[in-house]
Amino acid sequence: MVRESWMEIYPYYQNYIQNMLPLFEQSLKFVQDLQTEQISENTFIMEYLAKEEKRSVGKVKAISEFSALYRRDIFSRIWDRIEELKVSTDLEEIRDLIIDDFEEAIEFLDFLGSLTTPDQTQYESTNLYQIVNFIQEQIFPKRTSLQEVYDHLIEKSLQYYEIQRHLLMPTSSYREKDEGFETPALHSNHYKLINEITSLFNLDPNYLESPKDPNLEIPVILKDEIFLPFIDSIASNESINLNHILKRMELQLIHNIFIGPTMQLIRLGEPHNYFRRESSSETKERIIPQLSNETLVLMYLAKISYKRGFISKELINWISSIVAVLVYNGTLFTFMSEENIFYTIFTDLKTEEKILPYMMKLICFDKYLGIDRTKIRDSVQYRKEIFGAIGSQIIHMKKLIEEVSNYIFSILEE
Amino acid sequence: MAISVWNEILEKFQIGLTASIEHLKERDIENIPGAKERLIEKFTQIRDYLPRNNGELLLSMINDSIQARLFPNIEDIVPAFNQILNARTPEQDYIISELIDGFISSQGKTLFGGTDRRIIDNLVEAFKKRRDFKIVDHQFYAMFGDPNKPRKYVQERLEKIAKFLGLQMEILHVEQDVRDGKPKDYKFYSFPEEITTILEGKYLQIQDNGEKVITDEFDKMVFISYFLATQSVNRKNLDKYAVNGICAIFALILLLSFMPKLEVDETNPINRDDHFNSQTMSIIPKSWLTKDILSELMTPLVQLIAYRVGGINWLDKIILTEKNVSIHLQAQFLLKDVNKWVLGNMCRVEIPIFVEISNIFSEIIIGTERGEE
Repeated sequence: MVRESWMEIYPYYQNYIQNMLPLFEQSLKFVQDLQTEQISENTFIMEYLAKEEKRSVGKVKAISEFSALYRRDIFSRIWDRIEELKVSTDLEEIRDLIIDDFEEAIEFLDFLGSLTTPDQTQYESTNLYQIVNFIQEQIFPKRTSLQEVYDHLIEKSLQYYEIQRHLLMPTSSYREKDEGFETPALHSNHYKLINEITSLFNLDPNYLESPKDPNLEIPVILKDEIFLPFIDSIASNESINLNHILKRMELQLIHNIFIGPTMQLIRLGEPHNYFRRESSSETKERIIPQLSNETLVLMYLAKISYKRGFISKELINWISSIVAVLVYNGTLFTFMSEENIFYTIFTDLKTEEKILPYMMKLICFDKYLGIDRTKIRDSVQYRKEIFGAIGSQIIHMKKLIEEVSNYIFSILEE
Repeated sequence: MAISVWNEILEKFQIGLTASIEHLKERDIENIPGAKERLIEKFTQIRDYLPRNNGELLLSMINDSIQARLFPNIEDIVPAFNQILNARTPEQDYIISELIDGFISSQGKTLFGGTDRRIIDNLVEAFKKRRDFKIVDHQFYAMFGDPNKPRKYVQERLEKIAKFLGLQMEILHVEQDVRDGKPKDYKFYSFPEEITTILEGKYLQIQDNGEKVITDEFDKMVFISYFLATQSVNRKNLDKYAVNGICAIFALILLLSFMPKLEVDETNPINRDDHFNSQTMSIIPKSWLTKDILSELMTPLVQLIAYRVGGINWLDKIILTEKNVSIHLQAQFLLKDVNKWVLGNMCRVEIPIFVEISNIFSEIIIGTERGEE
């Protein structure tokens, strides 16, 4: 796959925004110039559209087709609003309301257009860099040690556990091979295994001498027991790849029979009370597990976040798309109200898929998410699938979108 | 005959409770002092009080709380759907969602699982995009790629789900399609009129110009609630995996409701853990989740529910082979986000259905102990 440079991706990102912006500005000018009485009839709008859409029949240019499509959409929304309000509202007021909606849309597009610069080295001063960093801090932190990442995720989990977990669980249907080198996404069977492991550790673990420290007894559960509730070989893949799966949560297979925590997990979990120590004899200490729902899920996420250079293609696409959606929707939330007549233009898949894929690539660069951008899929079908799925999961993200928006407000105030 | 079947299963449940009490006496895995004793006391009360008057209390819990909220025993789909929709709370949505998971994990490949669940998400999106409360097949296919060359699985799933949900289909025949000039049929899918009427207001707004616009409240749970309503109305025709899945979840809801609340020492770290909210959550004993106890209790409880909800037809479908342990143990996966592990403690989120069932039981016991019965 070709490794695209910042300068190659940046114009693609700007393309749609810079085509939409003049459309909105011209249309705003047209509405501002209309006499009040001209608003009540759509002949002026129709004449304007006919004039603007006049183009050579023999020569179809993508840009003029694009403009015609969106201009018609913009004006049909204007006319719908006029029709809706003209019985109850003064025409002057209707025009002011429409102008307000235009101004919001233009501000939104302006902000999107100025999110970053063509000069990659100037990243620190860009809004994109600051917003991506803000989002990473909440759900995908960059730190210099696993301990710091894990601690930070747990601290943020009170507010954002749902979205942290969502970040690990793509809804797209692409199946990944679990080859051990790259960490794949968490699929529903993995999640059920994590639930089962958490329950068994909390219920009635056995204790074994730690392979690393003879003075320590660590809790262990039977490997076979975690697969008991699965019927008809539903989890056979997970059974084959169990060792890889366990390593991703700092668990270990002992004698190929037991599952126990690694010393790393015990060390990282103790400050959060996920493990406590008890004397079992004069010389031995026993590690008692007291896991929470978050303990293993966030360890999985912490390891991905810490070793972000080694995550699977599916996960790269999913994580970057979620962060891009958070940036985009946070911006949308900041500048436009849901009542704005143009709001749904910007939440429509056909708009999102023209901006978000390039934003996804930009935010994969080292100073941002720092994940492998060459693995971002360019397939139109995949984009539709992934954005369709993200749109329907927006409830998990709503809170963070509001926080991103608050952050953008704070940037604007500076 | 019917009474003797019911009494027979009630007796099995009592035997299961006795066996569980024995298991509990043999081994203590609780980390909170007194938790084991509270659980033994509770199991003893259940064993002694629940079967009284032919299990009148249990009947009330199943009929008035579980069925009324999640699986109405009504033959007409319209009030059944209305009843489920009206009982919706965010927490109950979790339970309903888990109910659907129950279908999936028990059956492997059924509707609403994997890809189909995404298709449900897309159905919501498709309704959002139009202003007539209809879905057009061509527009729906566009969400998955080129609408003119839709993938076969997308076509099949849409048809299957539309049929399953009872969506009505209209065909619009176009003599000359603008794309290729050839004749084409477009399929429009919509809810039946009486269902649309129920959704009006909270989920669907009719504009002055007649346009039907869905609100933000309209989500996939509306489809899932409708699916549950269709299942409850057609309960006689459900296959055995669905029956086992549903009964296992209802049994789990009952068991969770029975659990006593535990008090912990104020120095317990759980009191300092931000994920624990003492206003909305209760620590409950955890030993009931062990395999020894759960397998003693789940099978007879599943049978009791099956008999009450679906009669002898459902009872015959309860799997009593080796698989039953696995299927019923799947209950451990379920309600995963309604109940939480916090620092090794099992915490029940006090949602209305648990509180209601728990109260029915407590009131009767208190009444009985005062000699009011």
